[in-house]
Amino acid sequence: MLGELEQTVILAVLHVGADAYGVPVHDEIHRRTGRDVTIGTIYKTLTRLEEKGLVASHIGDPTPERGGRRTRCYAVTPAGRRALQASIKTLRRMAAGLDVGLEPS
Amino acid sequence: MIRACVWLLERLLPADWSDHVIGDLVEQQHRGSWWMLRQTLAALLFLRARPHRGDRMLSTFLNDMRIGARHLRRAPAFAATSVVTLGIAIGASAAIFSVIEPVLLRPLPYPHAERLAFVWERNRDGTFDNIGFETVVDLADNAKSIEHWAAIGSWEPTLGDDTPERVSGDRVSWSYFRTLGVQPAIGRDFLEEEDQQGHNGEVILSHGLWQRRFGSDSSAVGKKISVGGMPMTIVGVMPANFDNVVSPNAEIWRVLGYEPSLPFACRTCHHLRMIARMKPGASMRAAATELDQIHARLEKAYPKEYASVGAGVVPMQEEVTRGFRPALLALAGAVCLVLLIAMANVVNLQLARAVRRRDEFAIRSALGAGRGRMTQQLLAEGLVLALIGGLAGVIVARVALPVLTTYLPPDLPRLGAIHLDAGGFAAVAALVLLLSIVMAVIPGSLAANELGASLRSGRRLASGAQHITRSTLVVAEIALAAMLLAGATLVGRSLERLLGVNAGFETSHLLSLEVDAVGKKYPNAASLYAYHDRVRDAVRGVPGVASVAVTSQLPLGGNMDRFGITDVGNPPSNPEQVPSGDRYTVTQDYLATMKIPLLRGRWFTAAEAVDTMNHVVVVSQSLAQRLWPGQDALGQRIRMGESTRATRTVIGVTGDVKHSGLDANITQGFYVPERQWFFADNAITVVVRTSLEPASVAPAVRRAISAVDPSLPIIRVATMDQLIAKSTAQRRLALVLFAAFAGAAVLLAVAGIYGVLAGSVAERTREIGLRSALGATPREIVALVVRQGARLGIVGLVAGLAGGALLTKYLRTFLYGIGAGDPITLAAVIVALGAVTLAACAVPALRAVRIDPSEALRSE
Repeated sequence: MLGELEQTVILAVLHVGADAYGVPVHDEIHRRTGRDVTIGTIYKTLTRLEEKGLVASHIGDPTPERGGRRTRCYAVTPAGRRALQASIKTLRRMAAGLDVGLEPS
Repeated sequence: MIRACVWLLERLLPADWSDHVIGDLVEQQHRGSWWMLRQTLAALLFLRARPHRGDRMLSTFLNDMRIGARHLRRAPAFAATSVVTLGIAIGASAAIFSVIEPVLLRPLPYPHAERLAFVWERNRDGTFDNIGFETVVDLADNAKSIEHWAAIGSWEPTLGDDTPERVSGDRVSWSYFRTLGVQPAIGRDFLEEEDQQGHNGEVILSHGLWQRRFGSDSSAVGKKISVGGMPMTIVGVMPANFDNVVSPNAEIWRVLGYEPSLPFACRTCHHLRMIARMKPGASMRAAATELDQIHARLEKAYPKEYASVGAGVVPMQEEVTRGFRPALLALAGAVCLVLLIAMANVVNLQLARAVRRRDEFAIRSALGAGRGRMTQQLLAEGLVLALIGGLAGVIVARVALPVLTTYLPPDLPRLGAIHLDAGGFAAVAALVLLLSIVMAVIPGSLAANELGASLRSGRRLASGAQHITRSTLVVAEIALAAMLLAGATLVGRSLERLLGVNAGFETSHLLSLEVDAVGKKYPNAASLYAYHDRVRDAVRGVPGVASVAVTSQLPLGGNMDRFGITDVGNPPSNPEQVPSGDRYTVTQDYLATMKIPLLRGRWFTAAEAVDTMNHVVVVSQSLAQRLWPGQDALGQRIRMGESTRATRTVIGVTGDVKHSGLDANITQGFYVPERQWFFADNAITVVVRTSLEPASVAPAVRRAISAVDPSLPIIRVATMDQLIAKSTAQRRLALVLFAAFAGAAVLLAVAGIYGVLAGSVAERTREIGLRSALGATPREIVALVVRQGARLGIVGLVAGLAGGALLTKYLRTFLYGIGAGDPITLAAVIVALGAVTLAACAVPALRAVRIDPSEALRSE
């Protein structure tokens, strides 16, 4: 079972697709949930996920607007997808039959 | 902000993180400073603290720190107040330390700098004086403890013919750089045979001058350059890192080329400085004794030539910092006081918080946490707070230091070495550690003492010990604030007095321009006088100019040109005893332009201004009193300089003028028509009385002077108000810093008093309710609160003023016309702190009055 922040971050990485690094992931979470998670927290979570093998990272290209610094981009691994599915399934099963406003519309 | 954040992250984040995290922040910098700061702090907090597995103690501690951080997030007001307080105090300390460390503490940047010293002539009153060339040679030749030595005379040549520029330099003995232990980076050092009269056409340039004028072209070495109209060869360029503490502004050097036979090399010609490198193993004290003995022999051999009583040997490090040491130490003291107050305040906040957290600790203790374990938790929390405060402090220091540096006097030695470096960070780190321990241990030990009681009673009361501690801290804060406030008031009142000093002439609407007339067009005195006349005619035609004059030097202009004055009718037996005076060689319109009052006699006429036969002179009042006390100065005959010079008749006496600064106490001076002086000055000051705002007239005057001869450099354009501001800049800086420190201290002290009283009222709700139920009037309840505040205030004030009396002696360099025990200052401090103490009582007192008795009695 993934933690709540872990789920949010994995989902955000999936939404962003290619080039998912700190800033777009932060913006995606902010846009969808209104939560202003700091970039430091996001990288912290991504590191933990990477240690568990749920995401993989590669070093991207430096750009002038970044002051010539590189990006670190993340992608969700197949294991990550499975963990996410398992996690969400667990939630669904637990919520089934309860009126918590989560029923598919 | 972004640069500060990047700088922090680069240093503090692990290497595998910094690059892409910083990149993200740089990319998003348009989101503003606050966003940046928040992201930076979060990144530091989350990405740094990775516990080392296997080290349980450490990982628990890091865990504690994380818990501490979470606690702080839940008490944002407490956290913000503490971080701001700590940040300002740590930042100010680091900034001041970064100035003091290279200037006062770090050894000079020369090999074996501890063997370097200045050698002076020591006067009867213990002051030191410059030294004549013959004395230098005799001392150096006879002293066994001296390895290398050099004499130094100041020199301000004008470089180049096409784009002339005046630079500051030194004429030095050939062994000057050898004595310091440095060598040119390009080319060579001076040679011994070059240090002779008539054979001194070689110059060495500073790295800065070489870059500026020759575009760092290394083929410049060996080329000829026009120096003051004479061709000279560049033989060397000093390295970029040559930090010249002997003359911080010097950019060019040529050999002295003196011989004892020269008239200006005499024993009484006190215009040289001497430096010496002692032999290895020769102690400074032994060298001082030896030079003193040699000097005593010289005094015996030449009794008429020495008024001095010995040689003064001052280690170079001590000499170059002597003028600044008291000021820097006073600032260091002030910043320490601020730091102490900040510490007291944060501890106080912690204590207030500890009262509220008593239950938490009681539960922890009941669950089996030992005292050590809980102290560890508090230490971790203190460390988190101190670390964040330290980071804020580093940012404060990074912002404050460049601002501070621009206000430092430009002749401060080692100015270039001032920046925030390892030393500054070590200071910050030490402070952080100290603060975190203090912040943990004091509240911790108090809280631990009464754990059991808390759970049983369930009441949130501060203990007696806590009350005493908090009150003591507040008293200390008030005392420290009183000391700073007294210091700031004294410095402020001194500055006010100084600016109120009568300079001896009308300072408003006065503009001055310095011109250096050199080159082939000015081969003799006549051509210079003609140039001065053309300049005066040209400036007189500029709209807004009321009158204009030419003078050899200007009061408060920073020049120094004094001549010995011999009373021809009554010459002193020892030539060393002749008084000296500032020489003003001026055009006829000078007195009227400066508006210097004429006290007796008359000023010279237009006819006398061009009369080269009958020499006249006008003297200042203090010079007249010095030469002829109780007698009439008019008609007396005096001579300036050597015995071959013309004798002059005194025709008038003017008011005194402050020449070297508003705080000058020597005001002897004399005025001579420029065509009557025995040489014509190349460097002159054009002084202009304006009817309009002088700064607005300046560009037109400048153009008018340039039009007369565009090839001459105008060295400086300044209004008299600017010159006065410059001469008081150091005092202003001290005032601004002291005022800022005192303001911060008073604010913190007010916050401290308020905190104690508010806490006390909250705890005594029941008691106060009971009192008013029993018939106490609102007035009596207000008195109850105010009495408590006033007690803190009075004890603090008394302690502070007593402490201040001990400390203000370190402020003496900043004081002018005022004693450290100035009664008005004392009164001002008492009134100001009394008022803010009462103000701090107001809110708690009102809250106490508003307590509803019935509710208060029911509440517990």
